[in-house]
Amino acid sequence: MSLLAAARLPRFPAASRIDAVGIALWGLRIAVVLVVVIGTIGSLIKARYTGAQWFDLVMFGLTIGSIYAQIALGYTMVYGVLRMINFAHGEIVMSGAFAGYFVATAFDHSGLLTQSPLPTMAAVVAVAVLTSTSIALLAERIAYRPFRRSGGLAPLICAFGVSFFLQQTFRGMFGTAVRSYPDPLWQRAAFHIFGYTVPHLDVLVVGLALLFMLALYLIVQRTRMGTAMRAVAEDAEAAALMGIDINKIVVFTFALGGAMAGIAGVFYSMVYKQVYFFMGFTPGLKAFGAAVLGGIGSIPGAMLGGFFLGMVESVGPSLFLDGLGIPAPYQLRDLIAFTLLIMVLIFRPQGIFGERMAKRRA
Amino acid sequence: MTKRFCRGLTGLLATALLTISVAVAEQTLGPVTDEIGVIRIPKGAPIQIGGSWVLSGPDTASGLDQKRAVEIAIKQLGGKLLDHPLKLNAEDDLCNAEGGQTVGTKLASNPQTVIVLGSACSSAATPEAPILWQAGIVDICTSCTAPSLTAPNRKPEYAGFARTVYSDIEQGKADATYAREEMKAKSVVTIHDGSPYAQQLQQVMADNFKAMGGAVLSQEAIAPTDVDMHPLLTRIASEKPDLIYFPVFTAAGAQILRQAKETPGLEHTGLLGGGALFSADFIEAAGPAVIGFLVAYPDLSPEAMGKGYPDFVEEYKKAYGEAPISGNHGNAYDAAILATKAIEQVAKSDAAGNLYIGKKALRDTVFATKFDGISGPIACDPYGECGEFHPSVLEYTSADPKTFAIGKNPKKIWPK
Repeated sequence: MSLLAAARLPRFPAASRIDAVGIALWGLRIAVVLVVVIGTIGSLIKARYTGAQWFDLVMFGLTIGSIYAQIALGYTMVYGVLRMINFAHGEIVMSGAFAGYFVATAFDHSGLLTQSPLPTMAAVVAVAVLTSTSIALLAERIAYRPFRRSGGLAPLICAFGVSFFLQQTFRGMFGTAVRSYPDPLWQRAAFHIFGYTVPHLDVLVVGLALLFMLALYLIVQRTRMGTAMRAVAEDAEAAALMGIDINKIVVFTFALGGAMAGIAGVFYSMVYKQVYFFMGFTPGLKAFGAAVLGGIGSIPGAMLGGFFLGMVESVGPSLFLDGLGIPAPYQLRDLIAFTLLIMVLIFRPQGIFGERMAKRRA
Repeated sequence: MTKRFCRGLTGLLATALLTISVAVAEQTLGPVTDEIGVIRIPKGAPIQIGGSWVLSGPDTASGLDQKRAVEIAIKQLGGKLLDHPLKLNAEDDLCNAEGGQTVGTKLASNPQTVIVLGSACSSAATPEAPILWQAGIVDICTSCTAPSLTAPNRKPEYAGFARTVYSDIEQGKADATYAREEMKAKSVVTIHDGSPYAQQLQQVMADNFKAMGGAVLSQEAIAPTDVDMHPLLTRIASEKPDLIYFPVFTAAGAQILRQAKETPGLEHTGLLGGGALFSADFIEAAGPAVIGFLVAYPDLSPEAMGKGYPDFVEEYKKAYGEAPISGNHGNAYDAAILATKAIEQVAKSDAAGNLYIGKKALRDTVFATKFDGISGPIACDPYGECGEFHPSVLEYTSADPKTFAIGKNPKKIWPK
């Protein structure tokens, strides 16, 4: 399913238009593929890591990837419906994380977080979702809606403004210190399978993220509102002529994105145990990259992009760079993640799940 | 002998380059003539001292602690010097290069800035000091410890830079000694975040560790904003080091500490952090994982500090309602005293009561002034190294940030 069919672009340049740039791009593609292949073979020959360590790296990648995927959904849905990049989405994640932090800390101090993890975590997630959704809706109503008909870069600049506003508001309200998220014993537990250690928390985060993403997919795909969303994404004017209330659909889209951001904020804090006002920026940026990789506007694409980015970040340096003998490879993890992202986009500019635009509109 | 001669010669050359490293413009104002300029402070106007510290973000405690120490020094002088009020213009340099550049430019653009105290971070001081010296302003750093800042081969644009804090040449050597002799570590992996402080300190430590017969398995790097350390720590676990040494800043340091404890294969690996992890903010960020964590830091016990230190701590508690919140307050206080002593010696008044301060004369006086500070004896070498160093290692005993108290949480465990 795709909310937005991407621009009509040929998959590959026509053979008759081979020029210096085309040759350079092919050279780049071949170089990256060689680095990946030779590095991987080298790493496997070196046998530096045990099977358990490779398994751990994959689990870390899946965990962070599932969080990126959830955040990426917010970007992709808003872009699909409004053709606007909501750069404040990372801060909406941060707002959910903060709200969840305060509730989780209160439960932790009272001992409830340890005694009754299920209801307390449900409450933490509910408060985070409520906060993130409210802030997303306020941003849409106050900041984005007045710019909806504006052309050019105005909505994008407005999104940057909302991002800074939210960061500085939380900074002013809660200070600049890094706060430690509660860490009850059950979050540190693990089980063993085939000799591998699997942390409960990782399974919980990945499992629930998949579940929530599936629910979101079904909402978009199988409900009347979801159908209306897709109609607006395809052609807003035609959808309006068919009686669809565009404002209602936009609000619904922001509410869904905000809810996913709230959940992602709680998961991110549970895994990395820190909350501070700037925490949304980097994962937001990476999730945006994941959304573009998957094909911006495509919900499965955002999910796949998130997991791809998480896996490359986690496994990539050990798999590709260790084998080439590059020292301190993890300082290059963003570089290799985004290089691979660029490579995918060179091969497939519309992203993995991006589709060509419908030739004829209603 | 040859080494000393070379060092002396380099010092002379550095002094000679002093005058060409700033916008050379001999100036005479009132009774003062100076090679690089004169600051005129009208009668009754304040003597303006710039301050550059990290005052927001995860490392706030470090900068705020130093700013408070300077405020106490000013208060103890009655808020006045040579019948002029003292005014501290403290700015937030964010503990990074961009912040240091911005603050340096802002303070240098104020023609009334007499001298600057700070930064708390080498990352900020590295771009800031040349900007200030370009305007003929001396910078006395209060906790930036990167060796390059006071190295004999430092560039001429750092000629106006001095510090009342030690160099990490000494800190790195002490950390290697502790790791080899006390922790009995045979192998180490170091982690830095690309900042001048972390990068240079881990390099000095690694070099000394190797010289003492230890093995440096790898020297890893992260970004200060990284949160997912699991893959890196899994890689480190594959090397089976006895010790991980990570002199990084609060946010990343807390993540390494927390996640190292969850990483299979690192259960018995020692962890040693640097001075940037010595604050209540770090306890807050690291949570329960902080208990038992070791941090290498200068010895702040009364016997290692100057004789005025206990009185200063009492004054601090009275002024701010809490004990010092980080560790370099003594260095900052001494920097303020050094600055005011130098201004007192250099400044001249005219008949109308206006004050004149020669910039080059102030720089030379700062470098020549000696006194017993609360952090120990203060006496600068030709490259601006003015402080004294006493090593120690401390261990965190509680995960409650409110219990941060130097000597108790963390408590000193070495030297015994």
